[in-house]
Parts: sequence; C-alpha cells; structure tokens
Amino acid sequence: MVDAARHPKVEILSYSEVERVDGYIGNFLVGVAQKPRYVIADQCTGCGDCARVCPIEIPNAFEMGLAPRKAIDVPHGQAVPLVYTIDMDHCIQCFKCVTACGHRDAIDFSQEAQYSELDVGAIIVATGFESFDPTVIPEYGYGVYPNVITAMELERLDNSAGPTVGRLVRPSDGREPASMAIIQCVGSRDKRYNEYCSGFCCMYAIKNAILMKQMIPSMEISIFYMDIRTPSKGYEEFYNQARKMGIRFIHGRPSQITQDPVTHNLFVEAEDQELGQVLELETDLVVLSAAAIPRADAADVSTKLTLSRSPGGFFMEYHPKLRPVDSPTDGIFLAGAAQGPKDIPASVSQGSAAAARAARVLSSDTWEIEPIIASVDPDVCVSAKGIKCGLCVPACPYGAISCVTGEAAHVTSAKCHGCGGCVAECPHSAISQHHFTDVQIVAQLRELLRDNPEEKILAFMCHWCSSAGADMAGTSHFEYPADSRGIRVMCSARTDQDFVLEAFRRGAGMVLLSGCHPQDCHYITGQQVAAKRFDRLQDQIQRLGISPERFRIEWISAAEGEKYARVITEMSETLKGLDREQILSENRGARDAIERRLRRWKASPQMAELMAVGADELPGGEELDR
Amino acid sequence: MIRSSELDPGFLQEVMAIPGGENLLHCWSCGTCAATCLVRRYDPSFNPRLILRKAGIGMRQEVLSSREIWLCSACDACYPRCPQEIHISEVMRAIRTIAIRDGYAPPGPSAEVDSALCSGCAVCTRACPYGAIDRVPVIVDGLERMIAQVDPNTCMACGICVAACPSGSISLEAVRNEELLTRMSAGGWLAGQSQPEGGKPRILAFVCQWSMRSDAEWAEVEAMQDDSLRVVNLPCSGRVDPALVLLALAEGADGVLVVGCGEGECHYKRGTYLGRGKVALLRSVLEQTGIGMERVRFVELEALQRGALPALIADMAAALGQPARVSG
Repeated sequence: MVDAARHPKVEILSYSEVERVDGYIGNFLVGVAQKPRYVIADQCTGCGDCARVCPIEIPNAFEMGLAPRKAIDVPHGQAVPLVYTIDMDHCIQCFKCVTACGHRDAIDFSQEAQYSELDVGAIIVATGFESFDPTVIPEYGYGVYPNVITAMELERLDNSAGPTVGRLVRPSDGREPASMAIIQCVGSRDKRYNEYCSGFCCMYAIKNAILMKQMIPSMEISIFYMDIRTPSKGYEEFYNQARKMGIRFIHGRPSQITQDPVTHNLFVEAEDQELGQVLELETDLVVLSAAAIPRADAADVSTKLTLSRSPGGFFMEYHPKLRPVDSPTDGIFLAGAAQGPKDIPASVSQGSAAAARAARVLSSDTWEIEPIIASVDPDVCVSAKGIKCGLCVPACPYGAISCVTGEAAHVTSAKCHGCGGCVAECPHSAISQHHFTDVQIVAQLRELLRDNPEEKILAFMCHWCSSAGADMAGTSHFEYPADSRGIRVMCSARTDQDFVLEAFRRGAGMVLLSGCHPQDCHYITGQQVAAKRFDRLQDQIQRLGISPERFRIEWISAAEGEKYARVITEMSETLKGLDREQILSENRGARDAIERRLRRWKASPQMAELMAVGADELPGGEELDR
Repeated sequence: MIRSSELDPGFLQEVMAIPGGENLLHCWSCGTCAATCLVRRYDPSFNPRLILRKAGIGMRQEVLSSREIWLCSACDACYPRCPQEIHISEVMRAIRTIAIRDGYAPPGPSAEVDSALCSGCAVCTRACPYGAIDRVPVIVDGLERMIAQVDPNTCMACGICVAACPSGSISLEAVRNEELLTRMSAGGWLAGQSQPEGGKPRILAFVCQWSMRSDAEWAEVEAMQDDSLRVVNLPCSGRVDPALVLLALAEGADGVLVVGCGEGECHYKRGTYLGRGKVALLRSVLEQTGIGMERVRFVELEALQRGALPALIADMAAALGQPARVSG
C-alpha cells in the first residue's frame, strides 16, 4: 500500500465514493465524491497529537468493536495515507484537537465534500467482502454469550497490534482460555443463509488453531467441521501439521451451544460422526468461522457499474472458466473477494491478472469489437416521435442501450456484445443486428422451407451452445433423421416470435427453439429473455389452432450432441405420427392471423418480397400472397 | 459388512416418491439433527442422521424393521437447524408410511381406551396433537355407541389425551394416574406436613422430560430432591392433570410448579400450549376460591437456558413465602 502511495502514476482517493460511472471501455467518466476529513491532508503529519486529546471514545470498527477509537483518528496504525479524519457523527466540536495541532494548523472544520470527475480507460472492482453476522443463528448464542466470538474477532485478539497486544483473553472475565472450540461453516454451506462454501475458512481456522497452540501449548483446541477443504499447494501439509500438533478435529456440525450461567463456560453439542454419538464439549471459548458475504452496498455498486451478480450476490465474471477476471462490461475487471470468496494467494493472482487485463486496454489506441453489433434506425424508432417505449433497454444485458422519450434509442457500440436480444424485443423493427438482420434470417427461412415444408423441422439454434451441440452430434457421428434445417443466431434471445410464426405460415411441420442452459448463457440473461418470450408464444400458438407438440423449446449445451440428436429424433417421430392433412389444415387455419401479425414487416420492400410465397412453394399449390 | 447385492436401490425412489420424502438425498450427514434430537436421551440408539443415511443407500429391510423409525415425535427441533433445509420428520413419516404398508407396526406403548367408561365426548380427539384419535361406532352391551379409538401407528404416547379425558377412560403405560400418584407420594412425601412459619415451602414440580437438554442438568435437579422438593417427570407438560395438582395441594404440597418446553420447542407440537392453558385456568380457579393463584405456576424452559431450573424453583419458593394450608 505504501509502495502504491509513493508511485508517481498511482493516485489513491481514500475516504471517497464513486457516485456515477458513464461511458465505455477506454472512455469511462467516473464521478467521485471525496468526503470531507476536516483535516488538511498536506498539513497533517500523522503525529496523533489530536487523537490523544480528543475526549470522545467510540467503538473501533477495525478492532471489531473490541477497542475504542477517538472521534478524530486513523482507521489503524498502518493506514495509508496517514491522515487523521474527524468523524462528525460523534465529534462534539470542543476544538481540543485544533489546539493540539497548533502551528501545523491542519484541522479545518469548514471542509466540504469535493466532487471530481476522472477520465479513465479501465476500471478494476476490488471492493472485497464482509463477514456474516452470526447473531441471526439463535442456537449458537453469538451476541448473547460473551465467550462466543467470530474468527475476525479472534484475529484482532491474537494480533500484536490489537486491543490486547496479542494476548488471547475471554471476553467474559479477561482470563486466558484453557480450551477453545472452533466451529466451521457458520452461515455458509447452509441453505438458510448462504448456500455457497466460503472457501478460505478451513485454512484460517487451521491457521488460528496452530497460532494459538504455539502461543499457549497447553490449550485444548477442537475444530468442528463438516468437511475440511484444503485444495491448494501446501494446504494439506498445513492441515497435517495441525493434527500433529494435537489439535482435535471433530467431524460433526454443532447443533447448539449452551452456557453455564455462573462460569460462562460453553457447552458445544454435536454428533461425532466417526463415533455416531453425541458429544457435549465444555470449553472456555467458542470461535465461529463466519461466512464471507458480499458487501452490503454490492447492489448499489452493481447498478453504478452495470455489473451483474451471481446467485450468492458476488459480482459475476464474464465467463467462469474462460474469462474469470473480466466483468460482462468491457473495460471493467474484477479482483479479489468482490467476485467470490477467495483467500490471499487467489486474490493476489486475480488482482495481478486484472491489472494485466486493464493494461491491455490502456496500451491500445483503438479497441476491436465483433462486427455483429446492433444499431437503431432513428427514423423508425417510436421514441424519437415522443412515444414512451424503451422496451429495448431492459433487453440488453450490458446496459448498452439508452432511451429517452423524444429521442431515438441509442446503442453504445463499444458496449454492445451482439446478442441481438434488443432486435427481437423491438416491436417496430427499429433495431437491427449486423449480419443477423431480419431480412437475412427470413431469407434463410424461406430457402430452408422451400420444398415440402410440412415434412421439415426448422431449428433455431444459439451460436454458443445449441449450434455447437449440433456440431458435436455431427462430429461424434450420432445419427439422427435428416428432417431438420437449422438457422444459427448469436443468442436464443435474437429469435423473434415472428420467425417461428413465419415458419408456420410457410408451412413448416415442426419448429425447435434451442439455446443454452440458463446458467451457461454467453450473454448473461439472454436465455432467460428467450425462455420468457417463447413461453408466451406457446399459448399463442395453441390459440392459433396449431398443435402444441409442433413447437418445442429445448436447452442444449455445446457438449450435449447426444441430446441434440435425441431431440431431433423425437421430433421427427412426433412429426411422422401426425397426420399430414392435419398439419396442412392447421397451417391454413392459422395463416390469416399470422399474416395480420406480420403486416409490419411488409413496410420494408425487401421483406415484402421475401414474404411472398410462390405457387410452387406450398403443398396443394395454394396461392398465398395477396 | 454391507454388500451392495443385499441393498435395494429402489427403496430410495420409494421414499422420495412419498410427499415429504423427496429431500432425502440432500442430507450430507453433518449430524446437526442427531445432536439436536432429544429422543436419544431416552433411547441412545436413535439417530435420525443414520436412518436417513441407511434409507439413502437402500437398506430397506433394516430401516423398515427397526424400532427407531417410530421414535421421532415430529417436534421439528431439528428442522429449523438443518443446513440443507430437510424436513426430517416428514422423511420419517414417509418411511413409516412404507413400513405400515409393509405390515410393520410401532413397538412402543400407545394410549388405550376403556370402552366401558368412554362417553364418546370427543374431547380427546381435539386434544391429540397428532390426530391419532377418532371416534368409531362400537357395540357395547348390545347398544351401538360412538367411542374413541387410538391409532397406534400415529400415537406418540405424549399422554395429553389421558389428562384431557373427563371420564378417566384413557390410560397410557407408565403415566397412568395411579402410577403418577405413586411417584408423587413415594416415601410418604405427600403425607408430609406443611412447614411451620418461616420454614421452607414444599414444592412439587411436574417437569416435562424434554425441557432439560443435558443429562448433567437432570442429575442435578434430581439430587436436589428432599422434603421441600419432589420432582415428577412427565412425557409432556400437557399430561398434567389439574386433579393431580389439586390433590397434591390438598395432601401437603405448598406449591405445584409445572415445567414445560419453550415456546415453539414442544416435543409434541402443542403440548406446552395445553399445559400452560390448564395451569392458567387452574390459577384463576384457585384465586377465586381464595386459595391463591401463587400456589400453582407454569414456567417454560427454553432449550438454550441451561441450568435455569434450580433458580426457577427457588423463585417459586420465595414467592410462596409463608404458605397457608388448603382446607379440606
């Protein structure tokens, strides 16, 4: 931290808050509010004379509330920058600090918040985590029994710079504990609170146990655990060392802790699974290994930076395996526990990786993106005519679209990832995606259904999963009937409901919509958008008189070649089981309603031409175009 | 050794197919339920985790024929603590359903109705927390009458119906009125004289056997017994019969303390609630008759209140102060 502070190209804005972030990769504009310290940083020498005379004592958050701090103070001894700050929530304005500061004259009660804007090329989010508050677990008695503490509190108690100068004591009587029980998985791996594994608690529990054992060799230390997870280099050896030192590992999750009302000793009840018997362990001190949870303001940060969050609430990476450092927004990178619980080596690795990823951006004058981006035709967009619409905005998983009534919607090209979700969502055909325009897709559809459409299965496949799954079926030589015809789109969200209807208008026998599994979507939420959209279409199709089994939705991953082959085989069998005449009559019956719905397409001459159906194209030689 | 060839892999599906049994495989054997469960104190062989585990790997015969599957009283103390949110008593119920289907029956005692005394008033059917009692037409002395019938498969032997029955027609092994009376008066305790002025008041404590969690606490309370304290443990505070309380007051006890489980921790779903209600009613009767409501008291002992009972007894003794004898 000190190195960073001294670096000529690093500026640390402490005691500041990011208010807003605009722009895109290479051109972010970040609004930062620097809170008033009421101390002039350049004049403060960090001597601490002011804190010594300050009469106000408040709980010290850095010391987990185990020690006091003054109303004018630094967060901790190693704070960078070493500039004192007045906490105005507690200051009584006695001005003793002003006198103590004397000729240095660093204290300035008139300071106000400073707002500044920074022009940056890349952003790294490294906002860390918070510790789970175990007071919500009544059976462990945290907050009720004085001798039940969290691992973070223990960290302060055994720290030589901590409130007890490194001497471990029991909160109830200040006595050195003769025994200690550590309980793992408090608030994590627990569906009532957080389902995920916090990952690093096993190692810090073992570390604390070894540290305590070295400090007080006579101390009886027991660790209650469900599983000990030591998957990194040297970790298992460390675990073995703890066992060699005489630390007792008890395989069982404690059900409750009770307290002796007189001695404040604690009784931990758990089933020792190796014995299959319930154990009641009397101990002087209980340490809870509390879960790592997302910071309380993670939702706020995710809104400001257009970041998405994983089910546990941590910031989501672009791809769990291939792009674990990038956020879904280009130019914003993630580092450390803000992205998910991780220990120090993993945080350092991700931090270094994020810096390298950001350097790629900063060292380039131009940034290449895929050419498949979406763009808005301002002449067609109804928002430009003052009509309140904005349907495209929530369809974009990247926040690339802005729409103000009175102006046409605008796609920031640098933010667009080319999923096409907005294109299919626009009810006025005002947005198009390069290389995946409506004209291009409908032209494919027309050619694929030119001959005997009632015998064909038209399959819409997303590029990343289902299309790759179909390829997998081919390269793996899985056999399936030759009735299917595929149209590849970037994301299932690009598939317009009207494409499916157009297929039926052209007499298709079956239509398949396929995309990624919900958790695999390449475009964060594209699959969900598609799933919702086509659930609605299922009902509409039935109302049009088309048998529901003729439209199928399947989520097929890139590895599921076997599933692709199976789905096509099943659909082909279903199709053969249906009466040909019935298919023709269903299509005939639905045609007028579909025509009415597709009227808007005909506004474009190219589309009108594509939609014309020649006499040779339909079974029974009917003339369709009227 | 368990041989896979002797296992029934279909048993798992069978349990999971019954509503309530579907979460069986979520269990990762952490043992929280086993350490929470109070049944083990009276039956150390009972371990809900092991039952789930055995069912999970398909030990069909062993699970269905075991007596342990009938011991869970569905108190659901473990349910809110399970990190996998498995409703264990529901899984147990699913397993029992299969056992009953296969012709197994619970081994323990269940409440019995004396058809000659039963008036068919249906007070017991409403009192039973498990819906184990129903009224059925029975021919008694040539006449068709509706009398109570207990389903032994669902009866958990809490004894609430025994206390509720106004005609004394229901009995339950080990907690019959006569048996309780014997325990109350053993060693001539009931015939003992109330202490003269300034002496220690004599307290009879009916204690729910589930309200204290540790064996050490029980031993401590039992060791406290002397002329001024008699402890009678009951399966549930709902088993307390007001007639027995009045009898104790009339026969030499200065006060009666009823100890039940904490709110929401009752081993028999709503036994604590019934016990508390009965004592409240009795207190107002005692107040109206001039005997004084302080003579009877109901206290709840929560699971986490370790070692609190001696203080609660002392508190009642202090409140009784200088007791007056019940006349008659």
